Amino acid sequence: MPKPIKAFVRYVDAVNRTVGRFAMYLIFVMMGVLLYESISRGIFDSPHIWVVEVAQMTMAAYYILGGAYSVQLDSHVRMDLLYGRWSTRTRAIVDAVTGCLLIFYLVFLLYGGISSTQYAIEYNQTNYSAWAPPMAPIKIVMTIGIALMLLQIVATFFKDLEKAKGEANP
Amino acid sequence: MSYELIAILMFLSMMVMLITGQRVFGAIGFVATAFALALWGTGGTEMPFSAAFKLFNWYPLLTLPLFIYMGYMLSESGIADDLYRAFHVWFGPLNGGLAIGTIGLMVVISAMNGLSVAGMAIGASIALPEMLRRGYDKIMITGVVQAGSSLGILVPPSVVLVLYGMIARQPVGQLWLAGVFPGLLLAGLFVLYIVIRCKLQPHLGPPLAEEDRRMPLAEKLKLLRAGIVPFLIFFFMTGLFLMGITSLVESSAVGAASATVAAIAKRRLTRKVMEETLRKSLGVSCMFMWVILAALAFGAVFDGLGAVKAIESLFIERWGLSPWGVLIMMQLSYLVMGTFLDDTAMLVIVAPLYVPLVISLGFDPIWYGVLYTITCQIAYMTPPFGYNLFLMRAMAPPEISLLDIYRSIIPFVLVMCLGLALVTIFPEIALWLPNQFYGK
Repeated sequence: MPKPIKAFVRYVDAVNRTVGRFAMYLIFVMMGVLLYESISRGIFDSPHIWVVEVAQMTMAAYYILGGAYSVQLDSHVRMDLLYGRWSTRTRAIVDAVTGCLLIFYLVFLLYGGISSTQYAIEYNQTNYSAWAPPMAPIKIVMTIGIALMLLQIVATFFKDLEKAKGEANP
Repeated sequence: MSYELIAILMFLSMMVMLITGQRVFGAIGFVATAFALALWGTGGTEMPFSAAFKLFNWYPLLTLPLFIYMGYMLSESGIADDLYRAFHVWFGPLNGGLAIGTIGLMVVISAMNGLSVAGMAIGASIALPEMLRRGYDKIMITGVVQAGSSLGILVPPSVVLVLYGMIARQPVGQLWLAGVFPGLLLAGLFVLYIVIRCKLQPHLGPPLAEEDRRMPLAEKLKLLRAGIVPFLIFFFMTGLFLMGITSLVESSAVGAASATVAAIAKRRLTRKVMEETLRKSLGVSCMFMWVILAALAFGAVFDGLGAVKAIESLFIERWGLSPWGVLIMMQLSYLVMGTFLDDTAMLVIVAPLYVPLVISLGFDPIWYGVLYTITCQIAYMTPPFGYNLFLMRAMAPPEISLLDIYRSIIPFVLVMCLGLALVTIFPEIALWLPNQFYGK
């Protein structure tokens, strides 16, 4: 692996690990907000209009920002009818090829995210609700998360390439 | 090219992509994006994100990460150990008693969690090793754990019914109540199967040895206290929700918090347990969420093709099926697709196609939700593609091979098909309880 690529892979892994481990704790935020509301509304009969959206936004951040780290953890299911029987090298070769298709998907996901964020900023878009929070912040977070996912898959692609070459020059 | 052909082509390319072993979300997302671009050119470029953003508004889906967290917390908390001991002592003396007890344990766990992950983790780590040690047939008990834990998505609470309720716009409370008796029916059928099988072949599930079960009655009764904590969790979570005190999503937060409290009370909540629970919850939640994200894009392309109308005209005009014929056809096609394709993605892609048709044919959408969930349970267990199979493989003790896992589910899938048929023929099994409760 050429030096700059090696540095890139190491850097992406480190950043996504940090971001993912931060996202991991967001589940407590969701729990906290919802518990607070269930006590406040259920017992004291004073509901809050921001609860649903805060919880929604926290969850979106949770799974989008956690996405890249979950790839590192190898949590994503694969159909292993054939995959399970292949050697490490064959897996790496196939992964490198299909990884490009995954990158294709993520590029368009990112493109859509950026254009939707631009719209939200330009027109000061607010959510269609009583509280009407601005939509730009969460869209920015989601776009960043998708970008991080894209970087992670690119890094994984380089790792697969390395493994695919693997046996020739260890 | 006709729209039907495009639709078939989409499924085929998805299948090919899945077979390469790429991450499921990537496989589905790529097919969706590629077809969107091919069909609509530049108009399709923003579709993947706008479809993904739909997930943002699916507020009830907050229950998913919370139930996943709760499931891992429960399996670490040690509540299950006590429960298992209780079932062990009470059912042990029977032929196949531990297997029956395991089904009982799974029903209790299903009542505390909306996914099969919790039951699977507890079954594989506590019940399986114990039964293996007592000379139970490994294929039978592997099936018992898989089938039993699949009740997690039918017995309330249930995340699959939440997803269905969102897609079909039906009240989740009614759906959950409708799952109660079909869930118990399936559990009963499993027990019946085990009893008959062990009567015919007693060596599959030998009764506990004399010295193992010598225990004064007072102590036996004391063991029943293991049921108190699960009951409390069930009450605070599902009970308060059905009484209308907490909302759906809040109830899952209450459940997650109460599982945490239970773990603290049992002094099981170490740093390591917390770390494991948080990391696994993030991993599994992200896995499901990204699959749903991609499946929504796939569904959006399908919607653009007018697939709902196409299926309706195919079933009713082209094939001339009666309403019941359509219903059976839908279940069969869903079973087949769920077997070969990704189960969670199918849930997101197929439900929006079938539910409008079900309603227009005059069937009860609540009842269909239950049928849908049972079909989903079967799909989750059938090879080559099933989440329960994946989980089982990761969690099972080493002496249980992949082939064992595949073979173990056959009788249980047949039993579940019988259960599905019963609920189809007698809708009252599902509908009686919600009708009583909500006084229809």
